Amino acid sequence: MAANPLYILLASGEHEKLQMAAMMASVGAVSERPVEMFVSMNALLAFEKDLPAERRYQGGKFSKVLKEKRAPDALTLLRQGKELGDLKLWACSMALDMEGWELDRFEDGLFDGARGLTKFLSDAETGQFISL
Amino acid sequence: MTERTKIDARGAYCPGPLMELIATLKLVQIGDEIDVWSSDKGSVRDIPEWVKKVRHEMVGITQQDGYWSIVVRKAK
Repeated sequence: MAANPLYILLASGEHEKLQMAAMMASVGAVSERPVEMFVSMNALLAFEKDLPAERRYQGGKFSKVLKEKRAPDALTLLRQGKELGDLKLWACSMALDMEGWELDRFEDGLFDGARGLTKFLSDAETGQFISL
Repeated sequence: MTERTKIDARGAYCPGPLMELIATLKLVQIGDEIDVWSSDKGSVRDIPEWVKKVRHEMVGITQQDGYWSIVVRKAK
């Protein structure tokens, strides 16, 4: 039986939610499950190029714990998920249009392209949908 | 002959040891074993679950001084 694909919508810029999304996406992808992640709103800010970790990862108490304990870096986990499994990342085209941003604003090697919510939701009907 | 590769993932938190195991599994031959050293209790629970799901083989888990040795055999 084919694996049930996982669709993750990440809109929050909170470090804790980004970390959880990256963990689910990477572990899902390396567990022989196709994963697609749609990134919008404040979550896009964490993907901007060349940010120091302190600015990229902002959150509450658990964000401090993740940094103190040197938990796996969220963007590194996503890269590993892409390298070792079937993981695709899409940047929300509405958010890009509103800000006048292009994909080259974001860290290299993560986004597979820009995509609209309608297409993502339509694809997500075939699998499990999680939003953070 | 079966080779055994050691990964020292002590100090890394979930899913770090698992990701290191998977990256190494890609490099070794079928039948080879990988010994992951992990101080993360979550990984001791999670790695066998992953091994079962993707149909590799658990060789065993032994508790050492401050860490676990998790041995996995590449089955496919």
